[in-house]
Amino acid sequence: MTDTHCPAPIGFADVVDYWAGDLTRPEEDRIEEHVFTCADCARELAAAEALARAIAAVAREGRFHSVVTDAILNRLAADGVRVRTYTLDGTGIVPCAVWVDDDLVVARIRADFAGVDSVSVVTRLASGDEIGRLSDVAVRPGQREILNAISAAHLRKLPPTRVRVTVTAPIESGERTIAEYTLEHAGAFDRLSGER
Amino acid sequence: MTAAQTAGSVALVRESADTRPLTVSDGDLARAIAAAPAGAASAEESELYRRFAHRVRLYGLKHLRDDARADDLAQQVLLVTIERLRAGEVRNPDEIGSFILSTSRILAASSERKARRRERLTVQFHVQDLYAAPAVESVDIEAAQRCLHSLAERDRRVLILTFYAEKSASEIAETLGVTGTVVRVARHRALERLRECVQGAKP
Repeated sequence: MTDTHCPAPIGFADVVDYWAGDLTRPEEDRIEEHVFTCADCARELAAAEALARAIAAVAREGRFHSVVTDAILNRLAADGVRVRTYTLDGTGIVPCAVWVDDDLVVARIRADFAGVDSVSVVTRLASGDEIGRLSDVAVRPGQREILNAISAAHLRKLPPTRVRVTVTAPIESGERTIAEYTLEHAGAFDRLSGER
Repeated sequence: MTAAQTAGSVALVRESADTRPLTVSDGDLARAIAAAPAGAASAEESELYRRFAHRVRLYGLKHLRDDARADDLAQQVLLVTIERLRAGEVRNPDEIGSFILSTSRILAASSERKARRRERLTVQFHVQDLYAAPAVESVDIEAAQRCLHSLAERDRRVLILTFYAEKSASEIAETLGVTGTVVRVARHRALERLRECVQGAKP
């Protein structure tokens, strides 16, 4: 094996930017020229590519819990991921369930986010057990909803139960509640048999 | 049939001493191939392939955005490289890496001709039984899922937007209300943490 100790490594940050497509053409050329003469940095690039591929695989299978954007939902739809959507606008209890062929469940959480830069979204069962917490979710001026995505496989494990979603914003003395929503989760169903 | 399928269909890695990684420099390896009669430097040719095929494949993934085409590119570039070495047409063997990169750039830009050329070279030089599909590093998906969820929500979202939705740093910055620089720093730190977590999860 040659070139086992690179005297001038590219650095993982540049490798990531290269793979993400955020470098200029001359910067890309420089990275490529180095990688083709340096086995160490080629391994760093291979590591970044493997991680990127794994992240895409996790997302493509709907195996994540995160705030998403319409761009992500569009990509998921193009990849054939089955997304079930519920809208939470505070007008009453939202009946919900998860079906056997769902991949991802998305809650469109609508609220008045005026004057808020970031929020936390906490999901609890009627028992008080917390099943999801998203902290420091950025809110843009004029934003009217947050798309909270949860793996359907995770939700299928839940029994029928009432679910409470609370959105809070940080303030000097702690946090204030912006909105609360209630869902009546009927459990997991098989579409064909209609059975749980 | 892709190059990967072609490569995978034959016995590619011989269990003999001459397939063990050689310790010579890239330049010496290239010189050995160039100096030997055609077919007489099979160990050196295999080693050259082992060292560079995955780099060409990464180049192909980056620019062609397609696994099969990237595999094809890796196969074809190394075939062309060995052809040129055997013909004495590589002027500076010490810069074999740069030669392979240049060849990758040229061939990636002319992808419509690749399949035909590969078939002709394979027949002409009888080298198809020397090569394996490029080694591809992989990450356990279960570990990746678990480690992804151990990250802060914003970092997780940056990684998914970048590597799944294929959004640029500036596009993500617009979504998050921060600068592109902040996104890039957060992204590489998050990927570094993910890497450490996944490596720590290995048995």
